[in-house]
Amino acid sequence: MAKEEQMKQTPNVQRPTLNAEVAEDGTTSHIKHRRSNILWRIIDFIVAAIFIFAALMKIFDLDHVIADLRHFHLGDLLIDLQGIRLADPAGFAHDINNYRILPWTLSVALAFYLPWLEMFCGLALIARFLYRGALSILTVLILVFMLATVAAKIRGLDITCGCFGHASQHWNFSAHLGLDLVLFGLVIFLLRGCRRDFTLSER
Amino acid sequence: MKFSLARQALILAALALVPGMGEAVYFRHNISWRSAVPPSELVTVAQARAWGGNVIWVDARPDEEFARDHVSGAVSLNEDQWNELLPQFLAVWSPGKKVVVYCSAESCDLAREVAERLRKEAQIPDVLVLEGGWEAWLKKNR
Repeated sequence: MAKEEQMKQTPNVQRPTLNAEVAEDGTTSHIKHRRSNILWRIIDFIVAAIFIFAALMKIFDLDHVIADLRHFHLGDLLIDLQGIRLADPAGFAHDINNYRILPWTLSVALAFYLPWLEMFCGLALIARFLYRGALSILTVLILVFMLATVAAKIRGLDITCGCFGHASQHWNFSAHLGLDLVLFGLVIFLLRGCRRDFTLSER
Repeated sequence: MKFSLARQALILAALALVPGMGEAVYFRHNISWRSAVPPSELVTVAQARAWGGNVIWVDARPDEEFARDHVSGAVSLNEDQWNELLPQFLAVWSPGKKVVVYCSAESCDLAREVAERLRKEAQIPDVLVLEGGWEAWLKKNR
């Protein structure tokens, strides 16, 4: 009781806070923190860019635009940019169906839904809004992609992942799995960082 | 604004539903929800039978199933033995004839794959897939 009474009398300013602890060891930790923040933001943008690109390749028919960019045909690029139209979702639905895990109806539903989910998660990472939700959705998506790819390989299915629309048409198993693993590593890195930020702010 | 992790994920999942559903409505005539084959490439048993002798029936099921039973006059052509069986098909095919490919049921994908290869690799026009496959044929012929 005496201790509690003493606590009540102690002004708030005198209580040790997180900021006071950080200030004790000077500017080094502040710079370190800022550097790691910049690193996280860069990784945020890389992961977001990959998922937004993947989504755009499935939502829009960008084959001509990508070909123009690859061959530096800048004159044609302007014309092709004007002629962009929605991609036929049947192509992506067939890519999902080729894994032979889901019935056709569900493959079609996912062909309409997944690209937009990837797009919103990518945008959430950039805007840092609904950030942890986006990271957890992306982690689940990558895990499912990886499991489906390995399962397809074990069952001897010759499939194209369709992850980047036609751009990934000729990817082999190792390229597909390699990208999934890199993305998984990056997303886990971001999740760990965001959990640390969250626990700090909760203290 | 702070939401719990599950709520954040749910909000994102719900947000993505809106344009996804919009796209589904926009493409409602371009893609079939029932079968992987577009409606324009499907043919019913009744339609195919009405063409009479102008049809070549192609059985895309595995050899054992073809040996057990098949549409009378059908040619076996499956992906496992594509190179061996294709010459037999080409021997009976002639320009102007319609080709109807079938596999075991509505849900099987073999007929679509064989039909696609016939169109792309063998450059055969007028290749259609039998709606409902062998099951539908049996129902109509009992």
